[in-house]
Amino acid sequence: MHVQGLRRLATARIVAVCDREPLMAEQLAVRYRIPKTYSDFYDLLAIEKPDVVHIATPPQAHFSLAMDALDAGCHLLVEKPLGLDASEAARIMTQAESRGRKLTIGYTYYFDPAARMLRTLVAQGVVGDSVHLESFFGYNLKGAFGPSILADRDHWVRKLPGKLFHNLLDHLLNQVTEFLTDEKPLVQAHSWQNAAGSGDLPDELRVTVVGNNSSGDRTSAYATLSSHIRPAQHFLKYYGTKCIAHLDFDSSTITLDEPPSLPGVLGRLESPFVQGWQHIREGGRNVFRFARSDYHFFSGFHYLLSQFYDSIVNDQPVPISYREILRTATLVDEIVRQLGAPRTATQ
Amino acid sequence: MKILVTGASGFLGRAVVERLLAHGEFEIRCFVRPSSDLTGLDEVRARHPRARLEYMVGNLASSDDAHRAVDGIEMIFHLAAGMRGLPASIFVDSVVASKCLCDAVRNRLRRIVLLSSLGVYGTSALGTDHLIEEGTKLDSQPEKRNVYFQAKIWQERLFRALAAEGRVDLVVVRPGVLYGKGNPSQGFPSRVGIAIGNCLVMLGGTHTLPLSHVTNCAEAVVVAGLSPTASGRSYNVVDDDLPTGREYVKGYRQKVKKVPAIDLPFPLAMMLSELVEKYHARSHGQIPAVLTPYETSTMCKGHRFDNRNIKTLGWQQIVPTVEAMRETFEYLRASQNGHRR
Repeated sequence: MHVQGLRRLATARIVAVCDREPLMAEQLAVRYRIPKTYSDFYDLLAIEKPDVVHIATPPQAHFSLAMDALDAGCHLLVEKPLGLDASEAARIMTQAESRGRKLTIGYTYYFDPAARMLRTLVAQGVVGDSVHLESFFGYNLKGAFGPSILADRDHWVRKLPGKLFHNLLDHLLNQVTEFLTDEKPLVQAHSWQNAAGSGDLPDELRVTVVGNNSSGDRTSAYATLSSHIRPAQHFLKYYGTKCIAHLDFDSSTITLDEPPSLPGVLGRLESPFVQGWQHIREGGRNVFRFARSDYHFFSGFHYLLSQFYDSIVNDQPVPISYREILRTATLVDEIVRQLGAPRTATQ
Repeated sequence: MKILVTGASGFLGRAVVERLLAHGEFEIRCFVRPSSDLTGLDEVRARHPRARLEYMVGNLASSDDAHRAVDGIEMIFHLAAGMRGLPASIFVDSVVASKCLCDAVRNRLRRIVLLSSLGVYGTSALGTDHLIEEGTKLDSQPEKRNVYFQAKIWQERLFRALAAEGRVDLVVVRPGVLYGKGNPSQGFPSRVGIAIGNCLVMLGGTHTLPLSHVTNCAEAVVVAGLSPTASGRSYNVVDDDLPTGREYVKGYRQKVKKVPAIDLPFPLAMMLSELVEKYHARSHGQIPAVLTPYETSTMCKGHRFDNRNIKTLGWQQIVPTVEAMRETFEYLRASQNGHRR
């Protein structure tokens, strides 16, 4: 995803790839015609002197690699989660600021076109203040991503403090924290293992969050992470004081449930037609985007990349504020603490 | 003789274990993953009371596990490979795992039977009806192939390098498309065409499909492994009396499910592949390059394969093709109806 995204950017040129396993670096270089490969990160930093480093390793290695890359004067894009906990994330941010380097995180869906549209609708006051949020991330663990985790007792996902959830929580929570103002909202988390079976891993997570919205009013959120959903579902529902926005990341659409314009039972008749029309409009917009070759599965990630590289080239603010990243990391920490997973020692 | 079978719980692995037992090899270490379904192996064990099957759970991409797997082993049947998932996962499970296995065996000469594929040959530039024999060169541009075949080619290169150093007695078996009851892949063989939604687009349906029923393939793997004369050689494995792509689809439509199918002659298949590849590039990957002229001309051009060499070792087709097709379609129909047997 990083290599494919970078190949679309006019401001970036990939000089080398690095993997501790030389064969893995080589296969990537061959597939994407990348000129050089390294199996030692420090050789890469010393020889290539890259302007930007993308860290897409297991999260256990993020902290040390990020600190070394910042010491070497590189700007950084680090896959989520930024560190194993908020403390590591904060230290990376502090180091980036002290070195005058830019830092961002691989929030793949944060800038999806529909997510950007929701941000606009909220800013324009169309949806009103948030009363409640519902974030849902459901996938099938036995699909494309899960088997390698299930088949390997030493897989790095199993060694994360929050195990299976830890690698996905940022996707689930970053757009919840976006609409809360608290540094540490109230959180309650429950997890269990679904009967469909994931070996020894808890694979279902439910989280309740209570905090304040931008007007200082109480608001809440439910976050659901399921590993046994078919088809995959990823959505955010924003229940506002004026209407309800449904952001569907899978189809990249946004629809609104607004109060009916017709009275009584006529309003109930009207509602499905209004919804239907909105889906047709959103579908048509996506067809238009497809025709313009702008309907990639990871459109949001490409937008993040272009914004991040623009921020480097033009010395502008980074696309995602450090405070936002840190608040999400803090929320993840609290969930992991409540789930009782043993914490891995940090640097 | 103590034998290691990697990927032993898989579709072919179970059949290889069964054929080894049929050939009188009872002491078998079955290397499986923690998530492997062992039901099939348990059934094999129940059918062979003299079998001494040892299940070893691990990950070949771990050096420690690879060394543990080969400890005390005299012959290795290396069938484990990444079949699906992310490209990186397929590479780890096929290539990195093979590298670890190579490292684990390099200090003691042993026979390794490597399961490769007919898809590793560089056949793109060869003409229609060209007979692909074991001496045909491996594809020199694996990066142009799909990830599974890329990994298979890299895997074979690793073992060939080790054999060239004289550190392993290598036998390579290159089967065609595996089929039969219990195949986890429920779709059409890749050489038939591609499915788009519920519709099948056939690519060059007049060509003979290089199919290999799982039992026949397993028998070939075992015969090659146990034959002293197979040392250092490669063997293509396909069944006799095979159907064309069109005949396979016709049988499928009659006995499994009536799927809509578009039958593209090979020149049109190539044109479609060029369009897909160009659109993929122009749109920066908005749709995946599921068809490319290189892959289509490699896989669907109508090259011929035979089984003369494996027959010289005494291999015989156990399941006749007519029976294999009937069994496969019955299994697929039962699976489609949700009554997998």
